[in-house]
Amino acid sequence: MSRQSNGYDPCPHEQAIADLVVAGRLLDESDNALRAHAAECRACAETLELARLLQDDQKALCAEAPVPSAGTVWWRATIRARAEAARTAGQPITLLQGIAAATAVGLFVALVGTWWRSVAPGGIWFERFNELLSQSASVPAALALSLLLVLAACLIVAPIAVFLATADFES
Amino acid sequence: MREMTLSELSRLDAAAGEADEVFQMDEDAFRLFYERTARPVWAYLARMTGDARQADDLLQEAYYRLLRAKTTYETETHRRNYLFRIATNLVHDMRRRPRVDAVPLSDDWEHADPRQSDAAGHAARRVDLSRAMARLKPRERELLWLAYAQGSSHQEIAATLRLKTSSIKALLFRARHRLATMLRERES
Repeated sequence: MSRQSNGYDPCPHEQAIADLVVAGRLLDESDNALRAHAAECRACAETLELARLLQDDQKALCAEAPVPSAGTVWWRATIRARAEAARTAGQPITLLQGIAAATAVGLFVALVGTWWRSVAPGGIWFERFNELLSQSASVPAALALSLLLVLAACLIVAPIAVFLATADFES
Repeated sequence: MREMTLSELSRLDAAAGEADEVFQMDEDAFRLFYERTARPVWAYLARMTGDARQADDLLQEAYYRLLRAKTTYETETHRRNYLFRIATNLVHDMRRRPRVDAVPLSDDWEHADPRQSDAAGHAARRVDLSRAMARLKPRERELLWLAYAQGSSHQEIAATLRLKTSSIKALLFRARHRLATMLRERES
């Protein structure tokens, strides 16, 4: 029991000393042997001093801790759990809306591709359009192109606008 | 924060029953457990973060995570240790994104004059401890607090900090020696 620690080597009795301080029993007469050991072992004396200091600090912090009531913590947790449950329940709907929007965009792109193949030089619609233009000199080509661009823009914007109007974004 | 729509409110109502089901314990059991553990957990969080406001936030978060955890607890000690483990993880997360509106702990006693009274002397010792603890590595702070303030065993500390039980003794010794050296330097 009277092992002298040099202050750099742990002592086997440190834990017992710390346990006594934590239990608040160090001043008990029943622990005379450990108390005597702590008086001559540097490692244990250090343990004793710091354990007391930290115990005092913890007691002071606990006394001044501004903890909310259990009911408040429970209530906040319940509200948060409900909000999370609602959010989780809403996720499939949001996912479906996203899939619908993506499908609309994909369909639009496919239609534009098909349309472009028919309108592009060599396509059947391109030739008919040329014929139409040549027959009707009153419609300028620039105006026809502008009308086509506006139509294409509407087709792009419409599905996005529908998605934004119906989507349920979280704040 | 935006207003809730009626559909959202009805969804919240529908989810109300589910919320109680996903919690670890019922309200009465929670109250008992909270009354026994809240202050020590707050003290731990406050000393680990050095910020009272941060400790307030992390306390609420720690209990929420405990309630939502899917872990089964053999004893209340096991549950308490798990709570400290959650608190430790939260502190680690917080260090990665420190907040700007930090409120340092106990400004009042940090300015106490040690010569005035015993109470002031006690306050001065706490200031010294607080400053020395702040200079320690986070892991050292956690070790010392769990061992000497919280009174956790080496096994409990190892479980809380996810370390090997066999390494706790040496780590604790080094941390304690470092803290003692810092405190001696402040005194001299």
